[in-house]
Amino acid sequence: MRNKLALVLAGAGILLAVAPVWAHHAFAAEFDEKRPLKLQGVVTKWELVNPHSWIHLDVKGPDGKITPWMVEGGSPNSLFRNGFTKESLPEGTEIIVEGYRAKDGADRAVGANLTYAKDGKRLFMGGSAPGSNGDGK
Amino acid sequence: MRICRLGGWLLAGTAGAALLSLAVIPTPAQAPAAYKALKTKDGKPNLNGIWQANNEANWDIRPHAAYAGPVYTLGAAYSTPAGLGVVDGGELPYKPEAAAKQKDNFTNRLKLDPEIKCYMGGVPRSTYMPYPFQIVQGTGTIMFVYEYAGAVRVINMGAPTKAPADSWMGWSNGHWEGESLVVDVTSLNDSTWFDRAGNWHSDALHVIERYTAIGPDALQYEATIDDPKVFTRQWKMGMPLYRRLEKNAQILEYKCVEFAEEVLYGHLRKQPLQGKGDSK
Amino acid sequence: MRRQLLSTLIALVAVVLLVSAPVVAQTGAQASVTAKPAPAAKAWTMPRTPDGKPDLQGVYSNATTIPVARPANLGAKEFYDSEADKAATAAAAAGGRGGRGGAARPAAAADPEGNGLAVHYDTSQFGLGGPTVKRAASLRTSIITGPEGRVPAVLPEVAKAAQDRRAYQQAHQWDSAQNRPLAERCITWGFEGPPMMPVGYNSTLEIVQGQGYVGIVQEMIHDTRIIPTDGRPHGPAEIKRWMGDSVGHWEGDTLVVETVNYNPLVVIQGQQVSDAAKVTERFTRVDADTITYQFTVDDPKVWVKPFSGEYNMVHIDGGLYEYACHEGNYGMANNLSGARATEKK
Repeated sequence: MRNKLALVLAGAGILLAVAPVWAHHAFAAEFDEKRPLKLQGVVTKWELVNPHSWIHLDVKGPDGKITPWMVEGGSPNSLFRNGFTKESLPEGTEIIVEGYRAKDGADRAVGANLTYAKDGKRLFMGGSAPGSNGDGK
Repeated sequence: MRICRLGGWLLAGTAGAALLSLAVIPTPAQAPAAYKALKTKDGKPNLNGIWQANNEANWDIRPHAAYAGPVYTLGAAYSTPAGLGVVDGGELPYKPEAAAKQKDNFTNRLKLDPEIKCYMGGVPRSTYMPYPFQIVQGTGTIMFVYEYAGAVRVINMGAPTKAPADSWMGWSNGHWEGESLVVDVTSLNDSTWFDRAGNWHSDALHVIERYTAIGPDALQYEATIDDPKVFTRQWKMGMPLYRRLEKNAQILEYKCVEFAEEVLYGHLRKQPLQGKGDSK
Repeated sequence: MRRQLLSTLIALVAVVLLVSAPVVAQTGAQASVTAKPAPAAKAWTMPRTPDGKPDLQGVYSNATTIPVARPANLGAKEFYDSEADKAATAAAAAGGRGGRGGAARPAAAADPEGNGLAVHYDTSQFGLGGPTVKRAASLRTSIITGPEGRVPAVLPEVAKAAQDRRAYQQAHQWDSAQNRPLAERCITWGFEGPPMMPVGYNSTLEIVQGQGYVGIVQEMIHDTRIIPTDGRPHGPAEIKRWMGDSVGHWEGDTLVVETVNYNPLVVIQGQQVSDAAKVTERFTRVDADTITYQFTVDDPKVWVKPFSGEYNMVHIDGGLYEYACHEGNYGMANNLSGARATEKK
């Protein structure tokens, strides 16, 4: 658990004082590290809830069939503190999700990396102003 | 008063005089009496304290006779007592399809009532759930701490701010109007109910609350409800809130998640519980 | 006026040391915290509420990079000499085992548990625990104060009981929601305490003072403490609470809070506390933006001696955001469902 903590904070260079942050969520039980996936789809709903936010996507398969997916993300509270709001990921935005599939076989994934299909920029990065995220809002 | 006109005027006059000679306790639909609350040291009406509604609104906010509960094994203990209702005018101005959904909610309330799942009560329901709440009146912010599910609201008393997203307890901006604390509540999500009877609202709900002292140990609570997706017009509810006067009265913990887990997750157990549906 | 001069002198030294640290007045094992926080860096008057009490109100971050326990190699060193000293120590530790005392590993590092960063969402995308989080500056080497800087040992019977519990958990951890940790069940996050501990993200709290009460809301998980300061006794011992039963009083300009009667499932620094647990906290505003928070945990049925800690919380703009954990806890159902699916294979 401690190692996982250090890893998830990699890049931020942060020393963490306390017991593992992610102990509240046993990802190994929910998602399958042996089933990585990449989804491209259109946002239909952004659930800004805790403990995890969820992006609902309509993903079009090669046969043209549309499958709704749910992608797990982080707590939205820090996004709010950085100036993002529910308007920051509008319905209809096309995004790419790299992540891992749910163990119970549902059309659900954890989104390890989220980018805009339009320009490849990472969601919610690039400062606190929603417009700077490449979504042209 | 449906008696002869003269008699009617006489009776009304007497009744009126009698009423005026008492400290008027307002009925739910009326404006509060001209009681002036004690003031805090910074000159505001002092609403600090532990308060609780004492009515049947959490069962059903509409006027209603007693009716059966949804769990027959709980018998009379979980049946709905009669209530005069807290809605001005009695009737809720649902749009036709919204009224149909309320009936559906009622039929399926055992599955759908968020209270059963220990979900926070939202606004205004948290005010009149049958548990106390505490007002901690600071300078610049006022905290409302509800016992049920540990719900809390911090009312911003400065320049109004906007919510980034919806929440269970909404986003509260408050100000004083004379003796009344007026709280403008927006950004409520669509997942709470008004009561156990399935009276519901959408995420367009906008509530304006007024808290006014009507005596040293009572407040009048009024809430104006505006939800254009569900109702054909605005409507109001009102009720007294009473101070909990016990020595050392306090908000106790009601962290009810563990009481709702079987309902929510029991079907995912490795082994089903014995005597499913019974208490342990 | 003389005190002003002395204060200024101390303040200058404090500024150099990036003051947030009290002068430790005791030698040996620190049984209780009595050291007063250092005075403010510049001339400053304690703001007061209308009833004359220190005004602690505001919204604060208690996020920190200070580990709870002091890195073993630092021995009795309670403070780094400087920011440079602190950075050098962190870099050295990063090359070794890492963990609590060390810096986070770079993104490309090995993944001993086989899950890797990739199975999780990327926290930096959500601003969690990242550089935008405001933290009080500090040169402390650990939150736990004193020459040891670590949580003391537990009584042998406690260690045995904990071991038995862990063994049971290993075999039953996915049986039901009730077998999951309290945080995963969204009952308590485990940091609310008291003592209130910094959390990995959303480490924010708000203090509101009303007549005779101090209210503290911690964002994780919207837990509110209402602390009476009117001198009343604790409530009945039969009423055990997840956040214990707190009563407070003012000692000069410090709010002192004592808490007893914890729910037996409450965990403090890795141990389930007993009915003898008592936590004492001290809140002192030291400047316009900072409150020094000190605590002592005393549970003679669990630890061989009491232990104390200290950190600063710093004022932030804006407010708390609702963290309605249970209401959005899809994860519980998903986890159990995943566990059942795995068993079927």
